[in-house]
Amino acid sequence: MSAPSGLTSQAEITGDLKLECGVVVVGSGAGGATVAAELAAAGVDVIVLEEGGYHPTGSFTAEAGRALRTLYRDGGGGMAIGRPSVLFAEGRCVGGSTVVNGGMSWRTPTRVLDRWAGQEGVLAISENDLDPYFARAEALLSVGLQDPETIGRDSELFKAGADAMGWNIAPNRRNQLHCAGTNSCTTGCPTGAKRSMLVTSVPRALARGARLFADCRVDRVTRSGAAVTGVTGHVVRPGGRKGPMITVRARCVIVAGGAIQTPALLLRSGLRSASGQLGRNLSLHPNATVTAFFEEDVTGWHGVHQAFQIREFAAEGLLLTAVNLTPTMLAAILPAYGRQLGALMADYNRIVTAGPLVTDTGTGRVRNVPGVGPQVFYSLADRDAARVVRGVELTAEALFAAGARRVLLPFDGAPEVHSLGELRRLLARPVPRRLIQLYSIHLMGTARMSEDPRRGVTDSFGEFHGAGGLFVTDASLFPGPIGINPMETVVALALRNARRLVERRDRLGI
Amino acid sequence: MTAAPEDDPRLSAVIRLAARRFAEVVCPPEVRTDHRTERVLREFGLMLGALPPAARKALSTALILLDQGARVYPPSRGRRFARLDDRTAEAYIRALLGRRDAAAEMVQRLKCVVTMCYYDLPDVQREIGYDPVPYIAAVSRRRLEAYGPQIRAGEAAAGLPEPGQPEAGQPEAGQPEAGQPGPGQP
Repeated sequence: MSAPSGLTSQAEITGDLKLECGVVVVGSGAGGATVAAELAAAGVDVIVLEEGGYHPTGSFTAEAGRALRTLYRDGGGGMAIGRPSVLFAEGRCVGGSTVVNGGMSWRTPTRVLDRWAGQEGVLAISENDLDPYFARAEALLSVGLQDPETIGRDSELFKAGADAMGWNIAPNRRNQLHCAGTNSCTTGCPTGAKRSMLVTSVPRALARGARLFADCRVDRVTRSGAAVTGVTGHVVRPGGRKGPMITVRARCVIVAGGAIQTPALLLRSGLRSASGQLGRNLSLHPNATVTAFFEEDVTGWHGVHQAFQIREFAAEGLLLTAVNLTPTMLAAILPAYGRQLGALMADYNRIVTAGPLVTDTGTGRVRNVPGVGPQVFYSLADRDAARVVRGVELTAEALFAAGARRVLLPFDGAPEVHSLGELRRLLARPVPRRLIQLYSIHLMGTARMSEDPRRGVTDSFGEFHGAGGLFVTDASLFPGPIGINPMETVVALALRNARRLVERRDRLGI
Repeated sequence: MTAAPEDDPRLSAVIRLAARRFAEVVCPPEVRTDHRTERVLREFGLMLGALPPAARKALSTALILLDQGARVYPPSRGRRFARLDDRTAEAYIRALLGRRDAAAEMVQRLKCVVTMCYYDLPDVQREIGYDPVPYIAAVSRRRLEAYGPQIRAGEAAAGLPEPGQPEAGQPEAGQPEAGQPGPGQP
């Protein structure tokens, strides 16, 4: 399949490039692609630079290893250093993390918006203010409930467990157009039913005249005095080799590389925030996985990636979900190797994997380490560690209630658990923090918005305090964790901030 | 697809030898059949290639240290990891993982990558009952048969050309009232 008109990949770039435009957008994920499409639709001359490659829907397969290498940054193996360290994954491809996420689309909880308004003085952020943007995001991304025939047995069992416990469980709202239930969300949706940026805002932006350069890494934001003048970067050749240079001169720069790459780029460009918060305040919704074995055949990969969320404990900052993992990914997290690993994996089709997502109170930091690049540091707070353990216990309870015969807990060295009694006896003793196996796919907060430049990196609409023409539009903006899947919030904020840019276009010269 | 093809993996002889022995210990015994070890090493090389240079170097160095560190593991009698018999090699890895220090964390990380590579092999996946290709084909067909007109209407309502296709001049997406279904969700 040929690339869409307006999209250029590394193979087509043979020499240094010098480009000019009104707005250059760094990143093509939920924030970048959305803002690019909106601005292009308003007639703004937009260039999008994406570090990852262009992989169209027709190229997606169920090969997890290949997907990890081609669609994810660092093979999906990011590591936030701490005790315990937290594995995290970021998308790196045209469409960004929306190409490999689970496709959950939820509006920001009102209590979170109220907190942002109250604590950070963020303007125009109430539920009423954002309603039209959420509605538009949901229309653009076809957000709705899953067709019932695509809900897999693993999800049914998870729901049965929640129902048996009498817990509130909600069907997921997802950005999907009659999802087929291929369970391929994390390797790229092979049908295009998941309405990622790749099949929504990217083609919209291109059709309205935006230019997108894939395989182009931005090294620096350039400035003249206090105002930005564009970006410089380079083409990424196969194997990560450095290719020709790219220089883009632009009136405005919008950085949308996600909560790790955005602060890293701004910091290495010499930008500083008077608040001292650039690169700090990282939240990552720590996740842990309980692996449950059932007598019956589950074949959890027959059905949608994730169909329900247990909301019963939302007030405690806990969301419980069941997510089917491919063998490739499950093997990596099971606490076994050799013959024992083989025995566990032989029961692959009798397994349900589920676990808690924690609204964290502790924070981390992104720093540029010379010779290494962006490095993430994160310290799990005692309170959050306790909530992870509670979330694991609740998840295991639901799975036992659904008929699980045994479960494996995400604690190094923990024995297999065969009953609720065993579970309670085991968890009656404190679980040392360093033994908890954690991962994350929700990274937020490292360029937080606040009207007060002493507290935030950007203003309420993503404009960097103290650098004219520089904007941030991704989950870095969140003043704190939101407790649910963040994509729709990113898209809604991008729509809102794009509108603000268009309203001010004369003053910005775009 | 316009993205760059994956580079052929190139593991140095030292890394290759250590990685091979490591795979034989951490993967199920069937790794020694059907040239699976070779294929795991190829996948491992590709995964290393996907890592940033610092992480690639760290994992490679960890393999070398793991290999040479076996010389000071008393039961090895001065032999490197790659030369240990199965029982001693397994005991050595178990001892490393049991330390719960930085070395254990690195071995754990290596174990994750290598076992991922093993369970990414299609024949291994089929053995445990995972064969997604025919399933994906069947449900994709079902989707089109059941919802073809709604899917086309939904895409058109959102004004979205398929990648590589010219836009059909559809209007901008409508703005449904809050709480109403989006396009394609009749």
